Amino acid sequence: MSDGVEELRTLMIRYQGGSLDAFQEIYAQLAPGVRRYLRHLARGSEMADDLLQETFLHIHRSRATYNPAYPVKPWAFGLARNVFLMNRRAAQRWAEVHESRQELPEFPVPPEVERLGSADEVRRCIAGLSAEQSEALLLHHEWGFSFQEIAGMLGISAATARARASRGMAGLRGALINLQRVRA
Amino acid sequence: MIDDSTKPPEALLKAIARDLSPVKPSPLPFPLVLRMAPLAVTVASLILLLIGVRRDHDVLGPLLTWGASIAQLCLAIVLVWMAAHESTPANRLPKNVVYFVAAATALVVVAVTWLTFLTSPASGPFRVSPLIMGIVCGIGSTFAGGILVGLFCWVFRNSLTTRPAIAGALYGAGAGVAINASWRLACPVSTPWHALGAHGMAVIATAILGALAGRIIAARRQSPSN
Repeated sequence: MSDGVEELRTLMIRYQGGSLDAFQEIYAQLAPGVRRYLRHLARGSEMADDLLQETFLHIHRSRATYNPAYPVKPWAFGLARNVFLMNRRAAQRWAEVHESRQELPEFPVPPEVERLGSADEVRRCIAGLSAEQSEALLLHHEWGFSFQEIAGMLGISAATARARASRGMAGLRGALINLQRVRA
Repeated sequence: MIDDSTKPPEALLKAIARDLSPVKPSPLPFPLVLRMAPLAVTVASLILLLIGVRRDHDVLGPLLTWGASIAQLCLAIVLVWMAAHESTPANRLPKNVVYFVAAATALVVVAVTWLTFLTSPASGPFRVSPLIMGIVCGIGSTFAGGILVGLFCWVFRNSLTTRPAIAGALYGAGAGVAINASWRLACPVSTPWHALGAHGMAVIATAILGALAGRIIAARRQSPSN
């Protein structure tokens, strides 16, 4: 098991014991990734920053439900997803997300496809994938979650997670190759 | 631009600092369910003690009397274990597994009802109207199941689930099946319309109760005052 996973686990145990420093360290390690993930879910909407704060508040309120047997990162990302979905149910906010769909989402570019096009092109192509495929693709290739972890976060089987990520990657490659052909 | 700030905002930090009391990490789903199982067994045993074991238990034999109830109790434990998984972010089970176990539970309850009726077609005490028997069994087992749903809600009040209604329905169904496991041992009526209409409806009612409780808990967590 990697040092990062163990370090986060130790920090979480300290945080459960009442350490504010541990919370700050957890925030420092997780916030950038969780923010990007929320931006991806919210299709680049500015509400991702609000959701990030809400996610950490929920992490705080639910800190007793964390069991040290679990790795912290999938637990926190799973919580972020829950927070996003709960907020999406509020009709007004959901409308805001849809309004902002026209904007180019600022989600990250998986290293595997970086050489196939500019970051902007890759982002456009990812935005063209289905929500399920792009989510599985980014969770695996960008944030490094295993398919088992993705399965737990999304409530699907590991095989489905693998299939979604793989179809997403194939779709992304295809879209980028088409783009290159058009350019040529 | 993506803001990659790694420092928590002041307001968030203040909110966290206000309540930093040490907490005890909750156990994993299976040990947690095993901790709750004795209470479910106690409630189920109380029903049995209050009403007594059905008179036709000799006709049914130990397998159909006790074996079928133990099987239902095991299914109830599986349902609550699944609900505990559903309540843990990043630890959810695939939807197909959840639906498969829910369907299998329904099939087991129906199969046990039919086998019981075929082995001993008892229609209950003649002095009491079938309708009254149905109402007593329906309301009684829903009430007993409701006690367990209340307990599950209290244990899992801090969990954050994506699908609170499904998690709650699983807790409710688990509670309902656990109660049905003991209620069927006490109820003298084995006609399918009574067993499925009153006992079966009670399981469905506790599942609905659990789903509603799940939704209410989730809504409360989302309210700004919390």
